[in-house]
Amino acid sequence: MSEKDTTHFGYREVEKNSKADLVAGVFHSVAARYDLMNDLMSGGVHRLWKRFTIELSGVRKGNAVLDLAGGTGDLAARFADIVGDTGNVVLADINESMLQVGRDKLLDGGHARGIDFVQADAQDLPFPDDSFDCISIAFGLRNVTDKDRALRSMLRVLKPGGRLLVLEFSKPGNELLNKAYDTYSFRVLPLMGKLVTQDSESYQYLAESIRMHPDQETLLGMMEDAGFTRCEYHNMTGGIVAVHRGIKA
Amino acid sequence: MTDLIDPALHTAGLAALEGALNRALALAPTGSNQLSELEGDVFALECTTPSFIVYLAPTDEGRVRFMGVHDGPVTTRVRGGASDFAALATSDDPTATLINSPLELSGDSGPLIRLQQILGQLDLDWEAPLVTALGDVPGHQLAQVLRAGFSWGRETGFSLTRQLDEFIHEEARLSPPRLELEDFYRDVQDLGLQVDRLASRLARARRRLDELS
Repeated sequence: MSEKDTTHFGYREVEKNSKADLVAGVFHSVAARYDLMNDLMSGGVHRLWKRFTIELSGVRKGNAVLDLAGGTGDLAARFADIVGDTGNVVLADINESMLQVGRDKLLDGGHARGIDFVQADAQDLPFPDDSFDCISIAFGLRNVTDKDRALRSMLRVLKPGGRLLVLEFSKPGNELLNKAYDTYSFRVLPLMGKLVTQDSESYQYLAESIRMHPDQETLLGMMEDAGFTRCEYHNMTGGIVAVHRGIKA
Repeated sequence: MTDLIDPALHTAGLAALEGALNRALALAPTGSNQLSELEGDVFALECTTPSFIVYLAPTDEGRVRFMGVHDGPVTTRVRGGASDFAALATSDDPTATLINSPLELSGDSGPLIRLQQILGQLDLDWEAPLVTALGDVPGHQLAQVLRAGFSWGRETGFSLTRQLDEFIHEEARLSPPRLELEDFYRDVQDLGLQVDRLASRLARARRRLDELS
C-alpha cells in the first residue's frame, strides 16, 4: 500500500477508497441520536457556534445556500428562515441516514418549502458552476477523504463573491485547556457514546478524527491553496472550535 | 485572528437578548406587526464603553435578529457610551435625546426613532399564552396576578422615586426643591435686571454731570 493511496480514519491508516464507507458506518450508527449527543457533548454550546457561523455567512433574503454535510439540518433550518420564499437552501449530506433524520426533523419543524435535500459527496458536488451565494460545512470537513478536492469543488459551485464557511473542531491555544480537552475527548466522550447510542467506537473515532484534522493555520492555507481569497478564521471556546471563512474572487 | 471576546460568549449574550425581546414581542402582537414595517433595515449600535457592537435587524415576521457581525449595508449607526444608550432606550422623547445626547449618529435617524417607539410601547399580553397553557380559569387568574404585579412594580417604582425625591429635598435638604430653585433663579434674574437698570441710571447721571461741568 503506497503512502498516496492511504488516508487516516481516526488514528488508523486506511485505504483512501474505504474511508467513505467507514465514515458512513459511524454516521449510520449515530444518526438517530445525533442531536441529543451534540447537546450532551457540547453542553448545548454547539448552537452558539452555529449561530455565530450564520452571522459570519452574511446570508440575506433571496440567497442560494448550500449546507454541506448538513446532517440534522440545524444550519439549513436557520438559513431557510433568512433567505425566505425568494431564496433557496440545499441540505446535502453523503450519508443517507443523516439526510433522512435531517429531512424528517425539518419537515416536522414546518420547513416544508424552500429546502431541497440532496445526497452528495463534497468532493464531487453535483451542481453547476457559480450556483450558490454561500456554502457552509459544519463538523463535516474532517470526515471527507480528500479535503483539498472538496474545497476546490466548493469553490467551483460558489458564485463569484460567494462565501465558504467551515465550522470545525480545531486546536485549543492554551496548553492547559488542551490537556483537559484531551481527557474529556478520550475518556468521557466514548463513555457518553456507549451510554446514549450504545456505540463507544464511533465516539472514539470522533475524538481521534478531531486530533487528525488540520489546525487553524493549516486549514487557512488549504483554503488559500484551493483558490479562496480574504481567508480568515475565528476561534471559539478557546480554539476547541474554529470557523474559517473564505471568499470566491 | 484573535477576537477581543470569545465569539461564543458574545453570541450567548446576543442569543439571550434576542430570545427575551422576541418572547416579549410574541406577547404584544401590535408591536410585532409594527416591527415588520422595518424589515430590511439594519441598526448598528456601537458601544464604546464597554466596547462591543450589536446589529439589530427586524424581520418580516415581526421579530428582531441580534447579530454581532454584519457585513452588509447599515440603515442607522449609533455610537456612544452604555449610559447614553440607556438614556435613549428609556427616553419619552427619543428625537430630543438623540439630538441632545453625546451619541454619534450616522445614516437615517427616522427608522431608528420608529424602532425605539415600537419597543418602548410594548404592552405585554400575559393572558393568551397562559390561558393556552393552563386553561381558561387558572390562566386568567395567573394573568391577573402578573398584571397586578407588574402594575404594582411600576407604581412602586414611581412611588419610590417620589419618596426619594421628597426625602432629598424636604427631609435631608440635600438639594433645594425645584420650585425653590426656580424662585431663586427668578430672584437672580430680577436682581440682574435691577443692576442693569441702576447701571444705566448711573451712566445717564454721569453724562449729565459731565455736561454740567
